[in-house]
Amino acid sequence: MHKILDVAVREYNAAVRTKAFIISIVLMPILMGGGVIAHKLLRNQVDITTKQIAVVDRSGIMADVLVRSAAVYNESEINDPETGKQIKPKIEIEVVKPAEGDAADQQRIELSDRVRGNKLEAWVEIGANIVHPGDDDGAGAMVAYHSKGAVMDEQRKWIAIQVNNQVQGLRMADAQISPVTIQKLIAPVPVEGLGLVSIDTATGEIEAAKKTNETATVLVPLAMMMLMFMMISMGATPLLNSVLEEKMQRIAEVLLGSLTPFQLMMGKLLGTIGVALTVAVIYFVGGAITIERMHATEYIPLGILPWFFAYLTASIFMFGAMFVAIGSACNDLKEAQSLMMPVWLVVCAPLFVWLQVVKQPTSDFSTAMSLFPPCTPMLMVLRQTTPTGVPAWQPWAGLAGVLICTLIAVWIAGRIFRVGLLMQGKPPKLGELFRWALAK
Amino acid sequence: MSAVELENVTKTFGAHTAVDDLSLKVPPGCVYGFIGPNGSGKTTTLRMIMNIFYPDRGTVRVFGEPVHGACTDRIGYLPEERGLYKKMKVRDVLRFYGRLKSGRAVNGEVDAWLARMELSAWADKKVETLSKGMSQKVQFIATVVSRPEMVILDEPFSGLDPVNTEVLRDAVLDLQRGGTTVIFSTHDMATAERMCDFIFMIFKGRKVLDGTLSDIQDRYGSDTVRVRIDDDVAKLTGLPGVERINDHGRMQELRMRDGADPQQVLQELVQRGATVRHFELTRPSLHDIFVRIAGPEAQEATRA
Repeated sequence: MHKILDVAVREYNAAVRTKAFIISIVLMPILMGGGVIAHKLLRNQVDITTKQIAVVDRSGIMADVLVRSAAVYNESEINDPETGKQIKPKIEIEVVKPAEGDAADQQRIELSDRVRGNKLEAWVEIGANIVHPGDDDGAGAMVAYHSKGAVMDEQRKWIAIQVNNQVQGLRMADAQISPVTIQKLIAPVPVEGLGLVSIDTATGEIEAAKKTNETATVLVPLAMMMLMFMMISMGATPLLNSVLEEKMQRIAEVLLGSLTPFQLMMGKLLGTIGVALTVAVIYFVGGAITIERMHATEYIPLGILPWFFAYLTASIFMFGAMFVAIGSACNDLKEAQSLMMPVWLVVCAPLFVWLQVVKQPTSDFSTAMSLFPPCTPMLMVLRQTTPTGVPAWQPWAGLAGVLICTLIAVWIAGRIFRVGLLMQGKPPKLGELFRWALAK
Repeated sequence: MSAVELENVTKTFGAHTAVDDLSLKVPPGCVYGFIGPNGSGKTTTLRMIMNIFYPDRGTVRVFGEPVHGACTDRIGYLPEERGLYKKMKVRDVLRFYGRLKSGRAVNGEVDAWLARMELSAWADKKVETLSKGMSQKVQFIATVVSRPEMVILDEPFSGLDPVNTEVLRDAVLDLQRGGTTVIFSTHDMATAERMCDFIFMIFKGRKVLDGTLSDIQDRYGSDTVRVRIDDDVAKLTGLPGVERINDHGRMQELRMRDGADPQQVLQELVQRGATVRHFELTRPSLHDIFVRIAGPEAQEATRA
């Protein structure tokens, strides 16, 4: 046993006592949460150059409305109310008298050319019959917004709101209905998302159901699953590299003069688990401190933590054994990467289905996926962390499946490792790996 | 009890038979030299003794026990290709290897060996900063630091300069004097002649020589004349009864045919006006025996 521990300690020190490890500890959450952070950082980084929009109003009632609305908008909405700093672009409306007949097309070309030449942001053609289209379902009943990127333009949405507000007001006035009455008639009834009513076991009193929200339902389970994915990813690369180094630098032969291939592999796996647990503890402590400062401690899934660590340990044994076997069979990182692809697909499978699972954590699909051993660690933790939870037997059944799968993976990997570690030359094909595994 | 005993051991890799029905006994406390051309099966045999490779047939016993895992703790192993963690410090890597083998801290032994090999100044440097010769000495220390009862050294002197070769050779002989059994493979016949109590030669997976140097040379008889002349070596060609000339530069070895008379060779040389400085009837050197077994002539004879 001391040999396994000696190898584990060396592996642990080799991985942890490096600058790369410290950098990856910091970088990994940034990469994983990069989208959210970038969105937060960049949300105020908007283009505030004035947007000049030409309006060809064939209805005769909208141009003035847009000019007035733009003035109000520029006055009251483009600046941050607290800092006074401009945060949205100014809108300027240029009213263009509509041309008729052939000249209309010429006018459309000229306006489009002004947009192409960056003299205008966009030009708008308002149909003649937008208030009461009747049988007109063509150009007369619509507003055409022309710009270089019309679909994503914020100004298109602004124009749509102004036009629709004005048209709806006019239609209501014609029908002699008050806008206040309409609002009362169509006022929505809120449907509150709540958990289940329960009885406090200490006092026997009925506890009111708590409000469910996005954080508890989606973000916390997702964070737990991503954390486990990070641990597996962070363990995999150093493990693979160290096996390749030992093979290519002929260290393996020296080591195999002192211990069996199985002891060497187990030592390496234990070292990797040590690294993963270290990282997990760092992130949990860091996360707990942050959450505590945000006064949101109810979101820390304390009851799930023992399961998390049990699944994490088993999954690193399971996937780590596969990485070790692949590393021992290859001669360099490039060869290893092609053989790693199938394993990575299995590791990443929960990422493809997590949204479906989190939406319906107790569906047959979610249950089956989370009881499929390679997916169990990440998906079971995901399901357990949702407010719905899982039946009590399922985590135990999942863990049993993972342990059986882990034993098989370690056994097969040990046999491939034994042959592959001293094998030089071209990398084996999958069939050869199986032959090694089944060899005497 | 033999330190190592191989009995009818065979090892194949696919269609290639690396070791073929090999039997061998290594007495304890001796220096046993493995010689043989590249690819003849030396390293495979050593790896089977270390239990790194498992024989397809036959048995390997080390200190009287069949090899399985733990008994290799009594053996130090220096493989042909050196294997050290480049990013580790010299002292740390030696402590790791020593502890792995012996199960105890070997800090004192590491420092003593580093001092003996004049590597103390490099103890806290990373392995990747060492020269090839230094790395080899560090690898040697890793092999012996756990005080094994037997050491197996695969090409321990290759790539070393003469000074470091001497340092390492002295260390090996000291180990033997301390009772350690030493098995080493080498391509340097002079080293094998000087250091080994027993010599074993393997060729194409089969044992072709096994015994003391004297026994081996006796088998080939006194069919060699060692000669040194002041003249051109060309004067040695066509001498009566000479089968082959091995030119060692300042000295030449003449291999005599069966029944040929060395006196006739000396007379012929004098008649040719050669100034003979040295003329010695001797047994063939290990180098010569090696070439006779594994050289081109032998290869052709085997093919014929």
